[in-house]
Amino acid sequence: MNKRYLIAVLLLACGVVQAQETFPNRALTMVVPFPPGGVADVTGRPTAAALEKVLKQPVTVANRPGAGGAVGNAAVANAKPDGYTVLMALSSITVIPEADKLFNRKPAYTLDQLAPIALVSADPVILVVHPSLPVKTLKDVVALAKKQPGELSYSSSGVYGALHMPMEMFLHAAQLKMRHVPTTGGGPAITQLLGGHVTMTAGGPAAITSHVKAGKLRPIVTWGAERHPNYREVPTFKEQGMDIVYYIWAGMFAPAGTPEPVMKVLRDAVRQAVNDADFRAQMAKVNSPVNHLDAPEFAKYVDADSRRLAKVVQVIGRVQ
Amino acid sequence: MVETLNSLMHGFAVAFQPEVMMYAFFGCIIGTLVGMMPGLGPLAGISLLLPATFGLNPIIAIVLLAGVYYGAMYGGSTTSILMRIPGEAASVMTCVDGYAMTQQGRAGPALAIAAIGSFVAGTLGVLGLMLLAPTLASFALRFGPPEYTALLLVGLFVLAYMSGGSMLKTLAMAVFGLLLGMIGIDVMSGYTRFSFGITELGDGVGIVPVAVGLFGISEILMTAGQSDPPKVQRPTLRQLVPTASDLRQSAAPIMRGSLLGFMIGIIPGSAHVISSFVSYGLERRLSKHPERFGNGAIEGVAGPESANNAAATGAFVPMLALGIPTGPVTAVMLAAIMVHGILPGPMLIEQQPELFWGFVASMYVGNVVLLILNLPMVGVFVSLLRIPYAYLYPCILAFCILGCYSVSNSTMDVWIMLVMGVVGYALRKFGFDLAPVALGLVLGPMLELSLRQALAMSGGDYGIFLDRPIALTMLGFAVLLLLFAVKPLIFKGKDWRSKVGLDEPADS
Amino acid sequence: MTESQRPQGGLRSDQVSGLILSALALYVGWLNREFPVGTLAEPGPGYVPMLLAIGLGLIGLLIAVLGSRSSALSGMVWPEAIRALVIMTACVLATLALERIGYRITVAALLVFFFGVVERKSWWMTATVAVAFSLASHYVVGVLLKVPLPRGPWGF
Repeated sequence: MNKRYLIAVLLLACGVVQAQETFPNRALTMVVPFPPGGVADVTGRPTAAALEKVLKQPVTVANRPGAGGAVGNAAVANAKPDGYTVLMALSSITVIPEADKLFNRKPAYTLDQLAPIALVSADPVILVVHPSLPVKTLKDVVALAKKQPGELSYSSSGVYGALHMPMEMFLHAAQLKMRHVPTTGGGPAITQLLGGHVTMTAGGPAAITSHVKAGKLRPIVTWGAERHPNYREVPTFKEQGMDIVYYIWAGMFAPAGTPEPVMKVLRDAVRQAVNDADFRAQMAKVNSPVNHLDAPEFAKYVDADSRRLAKVVQVIGRVQ
Repeated sequence: MVETLNSLMHGFAVAFQPEVMMYAFFGCIIGTLVGMMPGLGPLAGISLLLPATFGLNPIIAIVLLAGVYYGAMYGGSTTSILMRIPGEAASVMTCVDGYAMTQQGRAGPALAIAAIGSFVAGTLGVLGLMLLAPTLASFALRFGPPEYTALLLVGLFVLAYMSGGSMLKTLAMAVFGLLLGMIGIDVMSGYTRFSFGITELGDGVGIVPVAVGLFGISEILMTAGQSDPPKVQRPTLRQLVPTASDLRQSAAPIMRGSLLGFMIGIIPGSAHVISSFVSYGLERRLSKHPERFGNGAIEGVAGPESANNAAATGAFVPMLALGIPTGPVTAVMLAAIMVHGILPGPMLIEQQPELFWGFVASMYVGNVVLLILNLPMVGVFVSLLRIPYAYLYPCILAFCILGCYSVSNSTMDVWIMLVMGVVGYALRKFGFDLAPVALGLVLGPMLELSLRQALAMSGGDYGIFLDRPIALTMLGFAVLLLLFAVKPLIFKGKDWRSKVGLDEPADS
Repeated sequence: MTESQRPQGGLRSDQVSGLILSALALYVGWLNREFPVGTLAEPGPGYVPMLLAIGLGLIGLLIAVLGSRSSALSGMVWPEAIRALVIMTACVLATLALERIGYRITVAALLVFFFGVVERKSWWMTATVAVAFSLASHYVVGVLLKVPLPRGPWGF
């Protein structure tokens, strides 16, 4: 009995000693709160691979999908703040707590449970219409929608989803009314538009490119702060006199309370990882522009985004 | 036609490269393995392999992943037939008659027919994909919410032909399943319904843990405590091979299942799961002896198994011809192509003929590989039944826990499975059929969503269902099904139910 | 069926199951009160659940009313109930332990319990099969298929 006790104490002691050694000394887990193949996943996997090279430790990707990302986000928010569990989140991370507030739900997590590490990529969305719709410019869209109030329709990735928010920003700014047909994701939203079941949607550049090239969709305007490199001919909302900007971004977070030295290791690692040649090549292939911001600027970015989107959520209000 | 043949020859030249062959073979083996695990369906299989394909060339990557996908469709039936555990959602129906056949010592023929049906369906599916992809794809795009609603209604009314027990109890179970499907975030409004404050329930309860619990766990609970355990089976070689009459009875269901599955498979959305339910209902409706269904009718294995494999192939039509995913599996495969810098889309077949035709040819090869792999394996699988039950059932339990945990790396699915095991046990004691629960759960969220989407499209006008020809045709068909089902209630005594005395409450 | 043929005992099995289903429907309807029902033209999040709850309630009642001919509740036998309870308890404990002490230990312990305690197999068969199954299944799923299975505080 005594001997066993001694071994247990020794084992525990080893654990303590281990923890005091330099971070990281074992494998990290990167939680991706969406299913494989989505934006978070195709960004997360190359990032994890590049981080492995820098940290000299394996970085396993764990998909924890569910509830529009809430399940995975909450899992990391409530994880042990030792730096071994990190999150590759999408911009929806700021919207979910707002929606929870709107419905008086107990929030799955709050933003201050998570410490930003770095922004990895950001991509604006583009307004695309079905080619049968007789519009070429933003002015045409607004004029048509004014002429037939509540007759035009748009699809989205779900209520309060990443493609619903920009459309509501636009409709609110232009004082328009349209029918909203939510679907279960970005892919189905575009499928509905391709089939002509709705008249427009906001789409990510990577998802719409092949359809635009084939003439099955017509791009009108982008939510970016400047024109998209692959869509030089598509103007921004700002150029058209509407001050709305919206990006779908992917960024890394750790649980709040992670020790500062550990955070520094992670931040430096991400900075090196995003400049890795393989990582850049991988991201270019999936048409995802790398956009690195280190923790202080990223925190500000998240903050600004969350305030802006909170307003949009309130404008939408509860959908009956 | 000549051009197609030329391209196909070209494709075979690609597919017969030793490296491509090897990966197709690997894919099929991994798929079979993954499909057999409850919980690890085709989606999990190809997601797990996705990172490994980043370093391969795109043709090999897609051949490997496709191999996993249809391999999993083959493998899914094995545990359903042997242990009443649906390896993935599409094999729920196979549990019913497949396991009944196992209990009669006919596991061999059931497994063999499942493999043969899958092979025929897969091969016919590739033919359809090759010859008709662009035409069918544009047809598939016309399936908007109203058409989808109508299709799902057809699926729901098939219910009437699905179970042998009392109609009221079948209905009750279907409604129970539909209610289970209401759990989770409502896509249309963002409300979280019936989640009891559990974040993991936000996406609803998955079909896999529910099916494993209802069918697999409940079976163990029923059997393990009996005073004399199930006998160990020692089938002779002849008992492993389907008889001539098995083959004759299965031929038509396999052909019908293939056609039905392929048509449902090309429609975007996640409806391909219902293909196996619809096929089962159809076979029962057409059968001269519907009372055999549920008690080990081989048609009940042949039809659904062919349908789910054909649906898997059908799903590639919009994916390759239009670059749109029909469901999560094809979405991951699209991501796999994109990672290699190839943009999937309407021009894929023209721009990447080598990829498309190499892929098509590799599917012919893959199906042959799977048949060769699976038929001799029947003997190996059946010998699992030689294990004494006292050793078998604890391992099955551990297997179920492992599988359900792997669905999304969380114990929530294990809890759902355990709860459903108890529910299934109680329901079976009270003489309820469980298959309608699974159908209801699959249909519930899709039916509600598409109905409300259709109304959102039309601004609340139900006329949208009558204005659109495809939707109208299918609604007509649904009404017809309903009338057929109601007929015996009005003209008593015309139905087989009363002939075999099934309308009487079961004396269990 | 005549009165004399009926077995003794009041309640019938279908009456019980029907009423339980109706009770479930009532409960769902009660939970559903917080979701807006909307209109026929614009169904809200509570619309379909409400219809389903009403449907289940009615069907449950019908089953109960028409179930007077079904077998008596007291006539139902539950020979496997105790074993079922043991199995479920073991599974619940295993699920609780899974993320705390890791996959391999949990499954080995679960199997040892079943083989050794429930089925009373010899200790060496128990140990061999339990450990072999646990390690082999971990190798196939955790290592070959790369599913991140839970590890305990001792690293496996």
